[in-house]
Amino acid sequence: MPDWIIQLLITLLKGVGVALGLLTTFAYMTLIERRLLARMQIRLGPNRVGPMGLLQPLADAIKSIFKEDLTVTLADKLVYTLAPIIAIGCALTAFGGLPAGPAGSLFGADPWVYNLDAGLLALLAITSMGVYGIFLGGWASGSKYPILGGLRSSAQMISYELGMGLSVLGLLMLVGSTSFHAITNWQANSGWMIMFQLTAFVLFLISSFAETNRTPFDLPEAEQEIVAGYLTEYSAIKWALFQMAEYVNMITASTVMATLFFGGYRGPAFLEGLIPGIASWPFIWLFAKIAAFLFLFIWVRATLPRLRYDQLMRFGWKLLLPVALANTVLTAAIIAFSTGRVRVLLLVLLGVTGVALLIAFSDRMRVLWTAPTVRREDVNLTPARPAGGD
Amino acid sequence: MMLAFIILGALTLVGGVITISARNAVHAALGLVGTLLSVGGLFATMNASFLAATQVIVYAGAIMVLFLFVIMLLNANQPVTGRDPVPFVRELAGIGGTLLAGAFVVLAFTYKDPRPLTESAVALRDGTAGAVGETLLTRFLLPFEAVSVLLLVAIVGAVALVQRPVPQPDGVPDTEPAGVLSPETGLIFEAVTQEAVLKERGRA
Repeated sequence: MPDWIIQLLITLLKGVGVALGLLTTFAYMTLIERRLLARMQIRLGPNRVGPMGLLQPLADAIKSIFKEDLTVTLADKLVYTLAPIIAIGCALTAFGGLPAGPAGSLFGADPWVYNLDAGLLALLAITSMGVYGIFLGGWASGSKYPILGGLRSSAQMISYELGMGLSVLGLLMLVGSTSFHAITNWQANSGWMIMFQLTAFVLFLISSFAETNRTPFDLPEAEQEIVAGYLTEYSAIKWALFQMAEYVNMITASTVMATLFFGGYRGPAFLEGLIPGIASWPFIWLFAKIAAFLFLFIWVRATLPRLRYDQLMRFGWKLLLPVALANTVLTAAIIAFSTGRVRVLLLVLLGVTGVALLIAFSDRMRVLWTAPTVRREDVNLTPARPAGGD
Repeated sequence: MMLAFIILGALTLVGGVITISARNAVHAALGLVGTLLSVGGLFATMNASFLAATQVIVYAGAIMVLFLFVIMLLNANQPVTGRDPVPFVRELAGIGGTLLAGAFVVLAFTYKDPRPLTESAVALRDGTAGAVGETLLTRFLLPFEAVSVLLLVAIVGAVALVQRPVPQPDGVPDTEPAGVLSPETGLIFEAVTQEAVLKERGRA
């Protein structure tokens, strides 16, 4: 067999493996999420199907696959079918470029599906295409609530994509490359990126929540306002595909945060003294970091209420974007004008100041010193209760 | 490499044809997305990875989403029927298209590399962000900045065109601006004109 066919087969196998792995993680992620949410709300959660409810994902899968696949009469049939496929396709493709270990550590093969020089940019490009799934799904349903949900979500995702892209610019300047391998190797030499770019990490984390439509930014599916948003007219396997896309995007976001800010697939270096080579074992370190971030996603869902739409937009455009811009400019200045120990110190200082500013100017803080305002129409009414801020 | 070029080229053309022939504006926009993605793919096959990623992020990811946003917001996806305001617009478009196609044919047959291929391949350094950025911000700084000024002027112009100052008669408080998507509240207002508000008040 020629060499290129073997290479192609290996890549295909890895691709299928990644897709299956992600979908299995999705299935069990739903179970873990429901159990964890239940635990945080002092109830039991799904525990009937199989021991400890472990077969619940299987039951859910069988149900979604065999449920009748409904199509609304007014739907645009082609786009209606295409939308969930775009969503899940982009979500699965985006994950393939992330390295899970050093070269050649997957039984002699490389533990990633594709490796591009434009690694981070390519990932941002693919995830930005994922917006189309939600957006077109909302439009193609041919009904009011889905289109409102779709429009909302596209506005939200475009807004926060900007903040997300800007927040990593400082990091890219420090590393000098957009490739994930270069970023991981840089961190192996200099320490985790979160120490140097704390503000960028916080901005990236918040933007990731908005990009994956998770609480507190899950406005596209705010059920009190617009039923289930873009999902309203979807059922059975198409609905399941959208859900899969959301969870796979969450896993991808967790992996990206682990890779960019927490050393990627490398473990802590001090363990090298105990077991030599443990820090560069493939998979386990990355998986542990992904799991930690996924837990954070669930924890936040159980903790925070949903934002209002104007709060979401104000936060994105008036706070997140300016702070990201300032972070980029100041990081560039620090890189240009300082070296060595001073540079590290200044970067740490910048990170802490940025986070402090973010907290100080957030809506939660603003109500502490802003006097309650009264709407003009309400002036003539006797106030039944004090008009609150946000 | 040749095979990839043929497939992507064909996809680009098919997307373009869909863009101009589809009756539904959303389908037309999706055709354009296909074209832009295929062009991104063409960049990628030529090792210009940075250009490919930017093409997808900016054109297919951001600008086309805005296009679709407007189409869906104004519900402009139905074909426009009725008389053309410019009666000979098709003829004009035909002449313009022919001229453009002729120009491209001339360009294709008289094209010469500005410098030898081996030299430019080294200068491109696998099309990474560094090479592109360096060229843009040193050799082509003036055109680059001119383009950004042009874009800024276009944005300011669009805002100036949309914002018509409405004279405020006494006693009528400011109402929401007519038919816009307010970035503050995200609400989509019906196209409420000042006259309609006044009429409504008069009736009540």
